[in-house]
Amino acid sequence: MTSNYRSWPMILALGVVTIPLVLMYVYLFVDTVTNTAPGSVVPHEFTGEHWRFLWETLPGRPSIYVATLNTFVFATATTLIVLAISSTAGYAISRLNVPFRAFFLAGVMVLHAFPTVTLIIAIFLILQFIGLYNTLIGVILVKAALELPFGIWIMKGFYDTVPWEIEMAGIQDGASRLTVWRKLVLPQVMPAVMALGIFSFLAGWSEFILPLVLAPDNKVQVLSVYLAALIADDNNFDMALFKSVGVFYVVPVIIMFLFFQGKLMSIYGGGTKG
Amino acid sequence: MLRASPDGEAMSGSRILGLLLLAPAFVFVVLFFLAPVVLTAVFALTNMSTATGITGGAYQVTQSAMRELGERHGEQALADALARVRYTVDPAGIDAATAEGASTALVSELDRKLAGESFDSRRELERAIKALDNRPRGTRALKSLSALFERSIVNTRFATEEEFFGAVAGLGIELNATQRAALLATTYTGWTWTSENFSRMFSLPDTKRTFLNTIIYVFATLIVFNTGFALVLSIVTHYMPDRPAGIFRAIWLLPRISPPVLYVLLWKWLAWDTGFLSRILVPLGFESRNWMLDNPTNAWVFIVLINGFVGASMGMLIFSAAIKSIPVSLFYASEVDGANRWQQVRYVILPQLRWPILFITCYQSLSLLTSFEYILLATEGGPGGATKVWALAAYLTALNNYAGNLEYGYGAALALVLVVVGVILSLAYLRLFDFKSLVAPPPIEQ
Repeated sequence: MTSNYRSWPMILALGVVTIPLVLMYVYLFVDTVTNTAPGSVVPHEFTGEHWRFLWETLPGRPSIYVATLNTFVFATATTLIVLAISSTAGYAISRLNVPFRAFFLAGVMVLHAFPTVTLIIAIFLILQFIGLYNTLIGVILVKAALELPFGIWIMKGFYDTVPWEIEMAGIQDGASRLTVWRKLVLPQVMPAVMALGIFSFLAGWSEFILPLVLAPDNKVQVLSVYLAALIADDNNFDMALFKSVGVFYVVPVIIMFLFFQGKLMSIYGGGTKG
Repeated sequence: MLRASPDGEAMSGSRILGLLLLAPAFVFVVLFFLAPVVLTAVFALTNMSTATGITGGAYQVTQSAMRELGERHGEQALADALARVRYTVDPAGIDAATAEGASTALVSELDRKLAGESFDSRRELERAIKALDNRPRGTRALKSLSALFERSIVNTRFATEEEFFGAVAGLGIELNATQRAALLATTYTGWTWTSENFSRMFSLPDTKRTFLNTIIYVFATLIVFNTGFALVLSIVTHYMPDRPAGIFRAIWLLPRISPPVLYVLLWKWLAWDTGFLSRILVPLGFESRNWMLDNPTNAWVFIVLINGFVGASMGMLIFSAAIKSIPVSLFYASEVDGANRWQQVRYVILPQLRWPILFITCYQSLSLLTSFEYILLATEGGPGGATKVWALAAYLTALNNYAGNLEYGYGAALALVLVVVGVILSLAYLRLFDFKSLVAPPPIEQ
């Protein structure tokens, strides 16, 4: 914008700081299809052997496809629950004269600011007690619940931007508040619902601690736990294999991010990670 | 008054609908937030662990229980009496003798002469058996017979208090009230109420270290990256042409969108013994080593980098948006006045970023305080506990430790401290950011 200043020193300086990050991600992809001699940083041959986990099950691990399916079910179910509940609760908090409205909102804010992993000890014992330990249902319910305050908060923010005139007009025409919400307001916030959905899906796809603690078994294992277990196994150390599994795991994330970048930015601005 | 119906009806309609729409969220929040918070507080006051189980327990005379009985309750005599092995000629023993093939004559004589008698040692019992008319022939037979009458309550589990005291009475031990209480306290294998978790927390030197680690972790990451470097990123990209600025922002978003397991794997690849850093540095005369876990200083550098690279992007997005909203005329005016770039940053940009910086600082201090995922994946608190922060300590104590005995109670007590600090901080931040304006009453009902 202000062309009175030269920009190349800036680009150069920031470029230097950014190099480690670029290196890490470039080598992530390069190492999955090449071999590098020990002590060297330049690969010397192409190979497909690091992708062998796609056609053979690694010893002691579930099939990669079972893990992928589990991850998909986990992320999708979490997303649906979060969308359904936060689009209704967000509307109630934003627009309806609910008793204790301020109290609800304060509660949501406190919970949202509170990444809740501190509660995992109690949740672990609760799930053991009610028999949902080591099941996908248990970990889905917990993940959805932990995403909810954020979802409600975001949806409330988007409902707040819908002009009151739309609702006034609907009510003037004799529609009930429920109909107004469904027919008039919801279509207005559809982009927000989409963005929240994508965000929740990616959050579910990336989640590690909850499945690790609440559903570690092979048959309900998700990709993050699968990959972490692979890395933690000191007897079979194979960095290129880890990276290949990692790329397999991250590709859906990258694709979704490239497609929905604009939508996601509106939410990452209010991010949830440290 | 916007509807044909009276005000009151419109109000209550909206109220009921609102409650209905809120109900599912409310159920979830109660089940998975309030219940865990309350239960965390409850568990914090117990000694629950893998050893005690989470449901209930039994009564069992174990070696450690007897040691405790002697040392903490001063009942060494009782402990010795309970731990002593006795030889009692009881119906169960006589039946066993029959089953083992002892002669009918011997069995009936045992029953007649020795039934109900108790001996303090095996030798006394064997002397009594030897005195019988139909005594077994040979030492071997005698030994195997006497073994059948060995009686001890050590390591036997009793489901209820009555059964347990019954068995103790069966040994011929009489208990007074204090002895009963002491015995119950030491032999119960289930969890019990205790405030020991907190006294332990305050007395352990480990706690102080974890506390200091947490402070270092939160402040170093927050100041250097989450606000500091985020500011640099947003200001520097602001002064760039759009294309390189977009590329830099996209690259710096990568850590945030990458799943943590993969992201930390990349750092491990960088730092591993045979990793990238070693490969570059070995030809320069450095020794090959694990740069991340080599020593505490290195571990801290990596922990701050790993968390900071993720944290910087949120500040970058928010600060960039705030800089964009500064009227361009301010920049032009400052340039006309001859401001250099530094003066422009100092007097035009930074004053406009006061609130975003405050917001990021508050918000991320809370996130950092309770986050441990990246540390768990990168160093697991090592080397030697050097990077163990409070949240990680709670997690490791309760859910994943090397000793194998998961201490739910103590872990919950550690987590409870975080819950309390988190709630206090977020209430303070709510006050700071003017909560009232967020809940202005809906105009449709006014």
